[in-house]
Amino acid sequence: MIMNRRSLLTTALTLGAMKAFPGLSYAQARPLVFATFTGSWEEAHKAVLVPAFRKANADAAMVLDPMLSVDQIAKVNAAKANPPIDVMLHDPGPALVAIGQDLVEPYPVEKSAYYKDLITEAQEPMGPAPFFQVVGLTYNPEAVKTPPTSWADLWKPEFKGRVGITNLNSTLGTGWLVEIAKMRGGSEANVDPGFKALEELKPNLAAVAANPGALATLFQQGQIDISPGNFNAIQILKARGVPVEFVAPKEGAIAFKTTIHIVKNSPNRELAFKLIEAALTPEVQTTLMNPPYLIVPTNSKVTMGGEIARVLAKDTAELKQKFVFQDWKKINEQRSAWIERFNREIKI
Amino acid sequence: MGAAPASRDVTSYGMGLAAPLALFFLLFFVAPLLQLFWLSLHNDTAGLHWGLGQYLHFLTDPFSLGVLGSTLLLGAEVTAVCLVLGFPIAWLYQRVGPKLQTIIILIVLLPLLTSVVVRTFAWIVILGRQGIINATLQSLGIIDTPLKLLYTQFGVVIALAQVQMPLMTLPLITALGRIDPNLDDASCSLGAGSWRTFFRVVLPLSLPGLIAGCTLTYAAAITAFITQSLIGGGQMLFMPMYLYQQASTLQNWPFAAAISIIFLLAVLAVVSVFTTLGRMSRGYGGA
Repeated sequence: MIMNRRSLLTTALTLGAMKAFPGLSYAQARPLVFATFTGSWEEAHKAVLVPAFRKANADAAMVLDPMLSVDQIAKVNAAKANPPIDVMLHDPGPALVAIGQDLVEPYPVEKSAYYKDLITEAQEPMGPAPFFQVVGLTYNPEAVKTPPTSWADLWKPEFKGRVGITNLNSTLGTGWLVEIAKMRGGSEANVDPGFKALEELKPNLAAVAANPGALATLFQQGQIDISPGNFNAIQILKARGVPVEFVAPKEGAIAFKTTIHIVKNSPNRELAFKLIEAALTPEVQTTLMNPPYLIVPTNSKVTMGGEIARVLAKDTAELKQKFVFQDWKKINEQRSAWIERFNREIKI
Repeated sequence: MGAAPASRDVTSYGMGLAAPLALFFLLFFVAPLLQLFWLSLHNDTAGLHWGLGQYLHFLTDPFSLGVLGSTLLLGAEVTAVCLVLGFPIAWLYQRVGPKLQTIIILIVLLPLLTSVVVRTFAWIVILGRQGIINATLQSLGIIDTPLKLLYTQFGVVIALAQVQMPLMTLPLITALGRIDPNLDDASCSLGAGSWRTFFRVVLPLSLPGLIAGCTLTYAAAITAFITQSLIGGGQMLFMPMYLYQQASTLQNWPFAAAISIIFLLAVLAVVSVFTTLGRMSRGYGGA
């Protein structure tokens, strides 16, 4: 007998395994992998960035693999020598973690055609920021007749039981707490005044949401009327007919740099660079600035328009004046202690 | 190939058939679990220094123990609600005609056919300030200002009870179906009232299903990350969210691993209490 049952089974299993895990057989030649974020980010990148990149690079193969920042870091960490991702996208906190763990390459600034056109704050040598996320005040114009103008408005007695915030798991929640601390004389290194302010906010708090997405839905349910909120998330709700408005508080809207990085040891280094270049072009940034995406551009050559020009900034000069950037290196140092403190102290 | 044995014991089965599943579990469950345990025995986030620091941190911290306690309590509350509401449905199922049985089974299974996220969002709509409950009570003039239902322990228990109800009802329906209906009549003809029959005959005989249902509901309720975080909000901390926070936001994997192991052991302890009760009940049911 040439083939007995056992060897037949082994062959079948091997073939099956190769079918199930194609990565086993050809690990080397793979398309460019860009780990974007899930949800509206993925939609925007699929519709605008990917076509622009492919058009400029002879239809080079690429894949979007949307996942959270922390998952990107974990995946690259697990296979540093042959990472499964070529380009990572990060919020400011995780970006510093990725840089600190030596997972990303410096951006070849001298080769880049667009880097020098970026707003100074977006010029990050370890990975430039193609987009900004902006946090300001969100409110329901049907319930709040006079638009709020300052973070301090959240403490007004008329908003008793109407305010929503998120906990510190999110970039939004942490950044907002730092801003509140600054308003009361604190800083990135000292958020004590922020926690004191939170204590005073308790009578007004209707909800502490687990994440910014959950916070947004609370407007729909009339559970809250006012909260700190992400400009993009609010535009999505607004487009669906939910009565919400966004204002930049007079203290300045909090701007987070969303940075894009070439992964160290990437087998597709050149294409990764090309993809990031595409993300920095005025064309891609202009398209992403227009509805339905409304993503804040970082290339100073982009002329601000539409909703962004109306509520945020008409041009780069106004943007610099109205946006507040935070020192996430300092924030990261103490963030875990703050989260612990928030867990313990904020019970409503 | 070796020759097959001349005679086989037909009452025993080879363990070979279970080998593929066993292998699968070994690879994808036992191995990661061991890795998790190994990680939890490190004092630093980089995983270089061995020690029991993470466990000491958790077990000497009243806050962490409080989170564990409130999670286990949440499970108990949800299980109790499911049991009290689910038992009558299962009991009814055995006493109605086939048409009604189909309807009951459909109602019981319906929640399983929609995603947990959808079911949980439905509860946000029901419990919200302008939700169904508050709107009804207000229009009836029973309350002036809306009640706070969302983001409360009460809200989480109610929503979880609905979400996990099939896990309780289905084993109960099976267990009650196995009881010979003649036993009821026998008990009655021997002079026992309905309540006595229920407590002395039906309840003991349904115990295996009841315990299976409780175990499933309990385990599902305490680990229900989505429902807990959406209905409970960001300030009600239960173990799954605590774990997520440490692992994902803070990248403190050794502590997150220690939390998982402690949580796992706590759940195993509760489940083994259920199982012990089940074993004792067998003696009781036979008496």
